[in-house]
Amino acid sequence: MSQTLLQGQAESAEPESRDADGRLLVRVLEVQREADGVVSIVLSSNDGSALPAWSPGAHIDLILPDGLVRQYSLCGLPEDRARWRIGVLLEPAGRGGSSYIHRHVRAGDALQAAGPRNNFALGDSEEYLFIAGGIGITPILPMVRHVAAARRRWKLLYGGRTRGSMAFLDELSELHGDVQILPQDQHGHPDLLGFLGAYRPGVTVHCCGPGAMIDAVEAACRTWPASALRRERFAASAKPLGEDDEAFEVELARSGSRIKVPGDRGLLDVLEEAGCKIDNSCRAGICGTCVVRVLAGIPQHNDDILDDEQRASGTLILPCVSRCKSKLLVLDL
Amino acid sequence: MSDVATILKLDTAKVRGGNGLDAIVDEVDEILESAFETTKSATEAFFESYDRNPNPKALAAWLANRCWREIDYVLLLNEQIRRYGLAYNRRHITLLAKQSFQEAEHYEALGKLIEALGGEVPTSVPAIAAPWSKFLWDSMDRHPLGAIAAWYASETSATGAFEPLFAGVERHGFKDVAKAYRQIEIDEKFHTSLGRQVLSTYVKTDEDRAEILRAMRGMRDIAWTSLTPEAVAKSLNS
Repeated sequence: MSQTLLQGQAESAEPESRDADGRLLVRVLEVQREADGVVSIVLSSNDGSALPAWSPGAHIDLILPDGLVRQYSLCGLPEDRARWRIGVLLEPAGRGGSSYIHRHVRAGDALQAAGPRNNFALGDSEEYLFIAGGIGITPILPMVRHVAAARRRWKLLYGGRTRGSMAFLDELSELHGDVQILPQDQHGHPDLLGFLGAYRPGVTVHCCGPGAMIDAVEAACRTWPASALRRERFAASAKPLGEDDEAFEVELARSGSRIKVPGDRGLLDVLEEAGCKIDNSCRAGICGTCVVRVLAGIPQHNDDILDDEQRASGTLILPCVSRCKSKLLVLDL
Repeated sequence: MSDVATILKLDTAKVRGGNGLDAIVDEVDEILESAFETTKSATEAFFESYDRNPNPKALAAWLANRCWREIDYVLLLNEQIRRYGLAYNRRHITLLAKQSFQEAEHYEALGKLIEALGGEVPTSVPAIAAPWSKFLWDSMDRHPLGAIAAWYASETSATGAFEPLFAGVERHGFKDVAKAYRQIEIDEKFHTSLGRQVLSTYVKTDEDRAEILRAMRGMRDIAWTSLTPEAVAKSLNS
């Protein structure tokens, strides 16, 4: 397991009011405009109890009333157990999640959430280079705060379409660090190579933003050790099994038998070992051959082939790469 | 394939990845559709011809052309990785290598079928496959993504052969051929999905896009030509 600066602050599994599927009822405390097309939503637990702990880089799933499930990075203060804050960019060409939030979610509303989970944890480094594009600032903001408080060396490159579209600029200015705000309409594409410099031991890059920006950062860091670059893309991408994966149980509906899926094993492997014959080819979440019907439970989709609607339906899963957010997954097998 | 996979027919052209093809997506999809249809028609014509004159050597020759494509992909994919692979993310290197392994399995499986039909397994490019092979390799020399665009078009065109192929070989009782192609059908979904994702991820410029379209159009025009009954008859007589 890799070291993190925040060991001991991993997402907790403490007592909380969750339903059978692991969903938590939360209440909207505040909706605030942060930039053009960006609002922040502050959430509390519905019953006033402490919210689950989280660490910078973590995200929650927000389950909207129309069944859509969307992931949002937490961008508030981890030590504030009474409030979670997320930032939501309005994406007119999206499948409706952000549009619903912008149009309908108001203070006082009740929503369901799952998580938090952290697939983008802050590494333990001597020096941090943060790169954020657009709404990608949301997981980066608590990281920067934490590193600044820990008095580590850091700097941030934050790009966006225009200055007006870039959220949380005031909060960043209060950190009094090396923050480069680079709206594209004034500065063009940022000079990544200049910002990164040559690789030196002890430096780690944390990057979140649109795919093209991540690709550019990956290309700029091509000769760096793989562990020196941590990134989170907006779009989901096939994810290998990792240290953050949690165990869950899978029930085979046709026989009623239940099997445990450990955190370090894939669902398809476990199903095959149990005697299920499932056609497959890529085992990487891109061909769709192994797709199986979900009868209950919340799939954690790590594939690259199901579309947003299919994902949101919660009725399909690609067991070669995907897992389960709830404690039990019931499959039509 | 599972019942749900059959019903859903997940569209591999919709695989998530970068947005490098967005500006030419209509042209790309039109080429793929046309490549699918021309190969389907050529394969239907071959099996209609086979129905009239069922000669196992003709089927062996038809398969030999397909068999060469499998081993040529192995050689090509390994060269693609050698030349350009380190510019890709590691996952794509792994998946291209996995594709290469599966193509080798297809070469082995088709090789056994060809021998059982009394044919010869190709160990050098057969005359019937030469234009296809030359275009594929030339595409790699022209542009780092050219060969991937060409095989993406070729693999998609090959999916057009499945329906008439399954119907044809089952009419004539070639259960082993059907069985081998059931696996190839599954794997080609992966290969087409991978081709689309790699292109979407690494295509960046208008020049890239022009080369992608050139390679795909060229392959569309060639891929079906060696699958017709006339081409097979010519190869048997040569």
